[in-house]
Amino acid sequence: MEQHAPRKVALVANCLLNQNAKVCQGANYRAVASPVVEVLRRRGYTLQQLPCPELAFAGVRRWWAVYEQYDTPAYRAHCRRLAQAIAPLIEQYLRRGDEVILIGLDGSPSTGVRFTSSQPDWGGRPNRPQDDWEIQPRRGVWIEELEAELARRGLPPVPATGWALDMGRFDEAGARRDLEEFLDSHAAAAGARADDPAAP
Amino acid sequence: MNADVRGWRMALVPDALINPLPAARAALPDVLAVLEAGGYGVLQLPPPGGHGLLLAVIADQVAEYAHHGYAVAAVGVRGQPGDGLHWRGLAPLLRHRGIELPPRHVVRPGADVAAEGARLAAFLAGYDLPPEEQRRWRGRTQEDR
Repeated sequence: MEQHAPRKVALVANCLLNQNAKVCQGANYRAVASPVVEVLRRRGYTLQQLPCPELAFAGVRRWWAVYEQYDTPAYRAHCRRLAQAIAPLIEQYLRRGDEVILIGLDGSPSTGVRFTSSQPDWGGRPNRPQDDWEIQPRRGVWIEELEAELARRGLPPVPATGWALDMGRFDEAGARRDLEEFLDSHAAAAGARADDPAAP
Repeated sequence: MNADVRGWRMALVPDALINPLPAARAALPDVLAVLEAGGYGVLQLPPPGGHGLLLAVIADQVAEYAHHGYAVAAVGVRGQPGDGLHWRGLAPLLRHRGIELPPRHVVRPGADVAAEGARLAAFLAGYDLPPEEQRRWRGRTQEDR
């Protein structure tokens, strides 16, 4: 088998490399979420873009939605298909010893990692007032299905965080600080594992 | 929510241009930076190999964009099989979805790096949908903004 030095690989939410994937009124950047890319590249991460589940399911002109609206058998089956499409690449990274992390999109009903948007009574005519949803500390539907697919393949959990773009009011400086702290803590944990090969 | 500032343009880009190997980096322009400066989002293509299901997933996304007023181009790299664009697999998938194949530009490693970057930037700047299509889908053309 070809030998290669372990790499640092960041799985990134689709829209962090392509803001055209965002729901209408959700694109905070023209093209790429540049602070995320800059921070990851400066720290030597290889970027692996994940597919966007909402774009291919509900389209580019989809309505805003919350977790409960996407929590359906058909959408979960769609997410599993996407997970099966990208999982072989992720499995390859993990099996050859690369360090893999995941940067999702906090507040997203699909790609949220630490937080998702929730409102159990959303539905029907889309005339809800702005901010009429809650932020809940849980994964979005797509991240749940992606992690389940990786687990089915016997792969370890991938350390993950989210860029807080979909939390209602976007605080770029705060999001950047969060990301840097996550990467610092991950680097410290990886360093400790390297010093102690018996550590999990 | 803030005003939506999406650029309405994107490019299919091989993994080898997004994550060039250290040995290849000096011979290539920073393609991600050129795309970003040009207002192009990225649709990342996988490294060489099969990836049939992933290509189908990417083709679904390209079709959705192309049917709704977004401009999709492709930026390959010389020296990779099929310029890294998986064209043999991707082209039939796009045709099957009723999509014209995106215009292609190929980056040449080892050429004058600054000139290659400028050549890519000029290709990106010169491509978009016709103004009437832009107005139909986007309300205003890029030039109006």
